[in-house]
Amino acid sequence: MARAVTTQRKTLNTVIAWGIGLLIFFPILWTILTSFKTEGQAIADPPLFLFFDWTLENYAVVQERSDYMRFLWNSVIIAGGSTLLGIIIAVPAAWSMAFVPSKRTKDILLWMLSTKMLPAVGVLYPIYLLFISLGLLDTRIGLTIVLMLINLPIIVWMLYTYFKEIPGEILEAARMDGASLKEEILYVLTPMAIPGIASTVLLNIILAWNEAFWTLNLTAANAAPLTAFIASYSSPEGLFFAKLSAASTMAIAPILILGWFSQKQLVRGLTFGAVK
Amino acid sequence: MSERLQDWLPRLVLAPSFLLVLFFVYGFIIYTGYLSVSDSRMLPSYGFVGLDNYERLFKLPHWWRALNNLWVFGALYIIICTALGLLVAILLDQKIRAEGVLRPIYLYPMALSFIVTGTAWKWFLDPGIGLEHTMQQWGWESFAFNWIKDRNFAIYTVVIAAVWQSSGFVMAMFLAGLRGVDSEIIRAAQMDGASGFTIYRRIIIPLMRPVFLSAFVVLAHLAIKAYDLVIALTGGGPGQATELPATFMYSYTFTRNLMGIGASSAVIMLIMIFSIIVPYLYSELRSEKKS
Repeated sequence: MARAVTTQRKTLNTVIAWGIGLLIFFPILWTILTSFKTEGQAIADPPLFLFFDWTLENYAVVQERSDYMRFLWNSVIIAGGSTLLGIIIAVPAAWSMAFVPSKRTKDILLWMLSTKMLPAVGVLYPIYLLFISLGLLDTRIGLTIVLMLINLPIIVWMLYTYFKEIPGEILEAARMDGASLKEEILYVLTPMAIPGIASTVLLNIILAWNEAFWTLNLTAANAAPLTAFIASYSSPEGLFFAKLSAASTMAIAPILILGWFSQKQLVRGLTFGAVK
Repeated sequence: MSERLQDWLPRLVLAPSFLLVLFFVYGFIIYTGYLSVSDSRMLPSYGFVGLDNYERLFKLPHWWRALNNLWVFGALYIIICTALGLLVAILLDQKIRAEGVLRPIYLYPMALSFIVTGTAWKWFLDPGIGLEHTMQQWGWESFAFNWIKDRNFAIYTVVIAAVWQSSGFVMAMFLAGLRGVDSEIIRAAQMDGASGFTIYRRIIIPLMRPVFLSAFVVLAHLAIKAYDLVIALTGGGPGQATELPATFMYSYTFTRNLMGIGASSAVIMLIMIFSIIVPYLYSELRSEKKS
């Protein structure tokens, strides 16, 4: 809603809102800044905000100590792979529900979506036991499949809500012009569906990237992604603040960049489509 | 032939997703349920023991602590996130300058993994290196904030970290709700001389009941599922002070090798979630059919 607000009130509100924003962002900002300081500067009194000798030393130490690149690579493969696999399975399903709905479509959708809310512990045993018997523990392929499965409902749902926004009349017009199903999908639907698919991909990469329950429980050394990397730093012994900051900055850097572009998708996905 | 294919194709392409979810979620949940009435310990075993595991589960003080913590954590988390989210959304709705830049900042924490949030807050709240240490170094000698090491207060540090992560996102839900309120109604109320506060209290907030409901469902299921945040922040400790049902289930399975009890706790958690989402989905479906 929009109401007339006096200039003074407006300024005050802006100041308060930015104050809250700063408060929320401060822990992230401070961690990033500290990661570029030396250990001495990190605990300097009074604290140094921007004017210190910027150094990359902490990053070198963290990389050497725990091979950051390997974790990063695992994260990229697992998040990317599970998203790709999920999209391949979900696009036809979402297409079918959005454009050829039946009486049960809405029920099936909500039923699928509800599974995303269930606690992972409910299926931990069977998946764990299955992984042992198939030798999938601590493998990237195993984790890719599990993350695809747990995010499949949300992928189908998101794609469905995006596809729903494509006007059906266009399809009818194409059909009237004598387009076959194949042509209809290739030349009419696909170009219109790309933005929705891209948004879903973005959302799902973030969800898979952040997934910790399965990555912590099903990996040890080989397939461990960045969530496991950061968890290994969760006991601070032997490390100092600047290096801890470097480690967590490295863990969140890809998300900080992706996150800026995908706020909308994130809210839409996490509210299960309630907020567009 | 091609005609029939066109008829069948929609159902055919829906099948893989449908079957995968059916099998891997519901099939596996049934298996977990089956384990919960079996005599499994370290390995699955299929001797039927009835409700023995549940009986033993509810005799464990450890489990009651997890339930109690969930209650404290869940209630505070939902109430604080909803209150903060609503207040900040109302603030942002007052034509703030550069709102487009501000909103992503509020939402940033939600894009991070709970494991990162937990780890970062663990350092911030650690008396030895975090806030307390820093404050004392800057000259505030008597400053003390060691909740994370205190059995009676550790659960509140979980609330702090979780609220930091989620309130921005609840704000986004409310903001979308506020923007959806018909401005005609508000103009009419203003004509009648209603103050800003009254308009919010009497008109806008009651209109946003569906948003409150969705926020509740989203927050409640996040609270019941909470696992990674606690693991990273406190590891369930000190002692069992921040143990939640999910971490309880994990420790009974993998460190104590009591699969039957672990499975029965998982089933209890499933029942909790179902009792929240089933009525919600039912009401969603009903309103959908009405409209």
